[in-house]
Amino acid sequence: MILRNSAIGIAMLATTSVQAADFKWASTTDPQTMDPHAVNSAPVLGFLNNVYEGLVRRDKDMSVQPALAVSWEPIGEGDGWRFKLREGVTFHDGSTFDAQDVLFSYQRASGEAADTRSWFAPVSEVIVVDDYTVDIMTTAPNPLFPSSIANWMIMDQGWTEANDAAVPDKEAGNFATINANGTGAFKVTEREPGLKTVLEPHEGWWGDVEHNITRAEFNPIQNPATAVAALLSGDVDMINPVPIQDVARLQEDGDVEVIQGIEARVIMLGFDHEAETLKYTDDAGKPNPFRDPRVRKAVAQAVNVDAILATIMRGNAEAASQLVSPAMSGYSSAHAERPAFDVEAAKALLAEAGYADGFSFGLKCPNDRYLNDEAVCQAVVSMLAQIGITAELDAMPVRNYWPELREDNYDMYLLGWSPGTFDAEHPVRFLVATPNEEKKLGSWNFGGFSNARVDELLPAIQSELDQTKRQAMLDEVTQIIQDEQVYVPMYVQPLVWGTRSNIELTQRPDNFFLLRWVTVN
Amino acid sequence: MFAYIVRRMLQSVIVLLVVGLVAFSMFRFVGDPIDNMLGQERTQADIDRLRTELGLDQPIPVQYYKFLKEAVQGNFGVSYRQGRPVSTIIAERAPATLELAFVSGFLAITMGIALGVFTAIRRQGVAANIIMTVSLIGVSLPTFLIGILLIYIFSVELDLLPSFGRGETVMIGNWSTGFLTTSGLKALILPAITLGLYQMTLIMRLVRSEMLEVLRADYVRFARARGLSDRVINFRHALKNTMVPVITITGLQLGSIIAFAIITETVFQWPGVGLLFINAIQFVDIPVMAAYLMLISVMFVTINLIVDLLYYAIDPRLRVDARAT
Repeated sequence: MILRNSAIGIAMLATTSVQAADFKWASTTDPQTMDPHAVNSAPVLGFLNNVYEGLVRRDKDMSVQPALAVSWEPIGEGDGWRFKLREGVTFHDGSTFDAQDVLFSYQRASGEAADTRSWFAPVSEVIVVDDYTVDIMTTAPNPLFPSSIANWMIMDQGWTEANDAAVPDKEAGNFATINANGTGAFKVTEREPGLKTVLEPHEGWWGDVEHNITRAEFNPIQNPATAVAALLSGDVDMINPVPIQDVARLQEDGDVEVIQGIEARVIMLGFDHEAETLKYTDDAGKPNPFRDPRVRKAVAQAVNVDAILATIMRGNAEAASQLVSPAMSGYSSAHAERPAFDVEAAKALLAEAGYADGFSFGLKCPNDRYLNDEAVCQAVVSMLAQIGITAELDAMPVRNYWPELREDNYDMYLLGWSPGTFDAEHPVRFLVATPNEEKKLGSWNFGGFSNARVDELLPAIQSELDQTKRQAMLDEVTQIIQDEQVYVPMYVQPLVWGTRSNIELTQRPDNFFLLRWVTVN
Repeated sequence: MFAYIVRRMLQSVIVLLVVGLVAFSMFRFVGDPIDNMLGQERTQADIDRLRTELGLDQPIPVQYYKFLKEAVQGNFGVSYRQGRPVSTIIAERAPATLELAFVSGFLAITMGIALGVFTAIRRQGVAANIIMTVSLIGVSLPTFLIGILLIYIFSVELDLLPSFGRGETVMIGNWSTGFLTTSGLKALILPAITLGLYQMTLIMRLVRSEMLEVLRADYVRFARARGLSDRVINFRHALKNTMVPVITITGLQLGSIIAFAIITETVFQWPGVGLLFINAIQFVDIPVMAAYLMLISVMFVTINLIVDLLYYAIDPRLRVDARAT
């Protein structure tokens, strides 16, 4: 810890207990790039939120607040959005931020080579009105656009072009892969991919400084036991995540604290809705029972989610009733009830559907993607056995898992979904809408579920400006999803972080860790 | 002699080619890198485009041929995960592994020989028996467990040594060394013990049994009869003669120290090539995996080649055989 040996420092000490400090943290994944447009993944975007900023940003409770834009308003009848930009903002290298940088960042982030391209699908044009005003025109009214671009980070045109990084290069990398020049509260001063990344406060940052960090160091630590040891020994001040099985032990230790919250990710079971026949076990080739909503309902009633939460998640997660958690906008509170755990009712439903004698099928499951994913699947297998249906579990690493799902190699599968926009429309677009490559719909709807009413409502939801009408439509979609039991939502995955007890920080539901909310006491 | 070397070299090249072919046919079972490289909002078109760009849509022999063609020119491609040339990444990571291997090798040899001699001379003593019993732990406990145990004792409970990483390093040219800083040296201790423990036990047991054998030999008894001091007998005569098999084994173990480093490096988050390889497997970073496997096989093949050539130089019988054929 470094004490500022100056009159100001002492004065600060006298009034508050805040002092300048070193901070070290560890996580399992190293952000694979420093380029905010090259990879659209949580580890990258979460890390870079400390370094780069968007026009808007998310507050501690996920609400949208001004960042590089001070205000925004719709243009006409949903033709687009006008953003008033903040004046006097400088990048880490000292150059000033203006509308040209926004236009440039739009072109860069929406280009062919960018992984963030899909965010700009609704955008038709970006117009620079003056140095601090930008119009973003959309093809259809888009009420959620400002909140959908919280992770669209603005780069400096001059810096990026001078360093030959005007186009993101995921495959071969470029200057922006290792270096960063944002407007955020912290700048990258040292970057050794896979080893450590050092951040220091950006002196010219426009915002009010709430943290007291003078230097922050990030180390990836893959092995969970090593990370826990590093936290216990004080080699790091914060780790994310804490393995579920270590939570109780860490809570007993006086020097560390466990911070728990609910993540945005809902864990669910999915079905093959299209296949005529089962593909696995001795029943392979027989008609696919999961095409019958009564069978899907029976599965939902047979899975004892509370038991899974109590044992496997050790009380650290919450049951889910729909495809988004209650923390997301557009959550349907009218449909907060999930099917009751009832073995007899489930058996009755199976009998009604003509499967009184049960059947057997294949369940695919990842074993390194979600918290205790394989254990959850094993529990599901034994719970389904109680209503007479036999699942043959095949668990595999996630790097083999997605290709299997894409090839339709499953009868039932496990999936977790975190809505990137923090809105209930997101899972409908990706998981429920009829797959349509051209319109970029249903790209994760592996089972091929299709419902004309959902497909009809989705565009209306996307362009509805009236919140009440929009919610009514979302409620209707949720109703359909529940009636049809398209998926069996089980629980919202927990967030478990560990800190030294002298650290205060904020845990955001999207699992982003922001240094500007850290206080070292 | 020349024909022998050429034949040996050719065999080595064939071994390398086969290792590469096996590695390449394994990669498709490791998984698909595409999903790691694209975000949640990817479309099937993105997947197909990237697969074509990376050449993953081509048959394995073609992929392997392309890899070989580039590799012989020293180009191992670009890492899928880091977007940087694999050769640069490996060059950055190699010093960490080599320094760790060097220190643990050194520890294993010195401690192994010293303890081996000690337990052989004082074979009935209490201390020797304790060492022999404890050394059983060294061979029977998995490296992973030993590492975690050491971390819990020395960093969590006693707070003496760092729990992970390499500490501060100093760059000398392109070589990052941890030998020149206190934190770098402290960080070396636990991983070096973890990595070297198995080899140390092996050497110790080897030295002990060889030494016991030699101490029963006639020339040692004769030396004793001549009235030489125990010191001279033990170290000048006995130890010297036990060293021949020890050197052979140590040479062969050198390669496995570097290869075994994967587990130690994962436990201690040691930034060497082993950790790089583990990360590459998780990410299905094919260029890194391919380069690492080729590098390790080149290393083993070279060591074996040198050993063979040394045998040829030392053992006259091989030369007679060569002449006869």
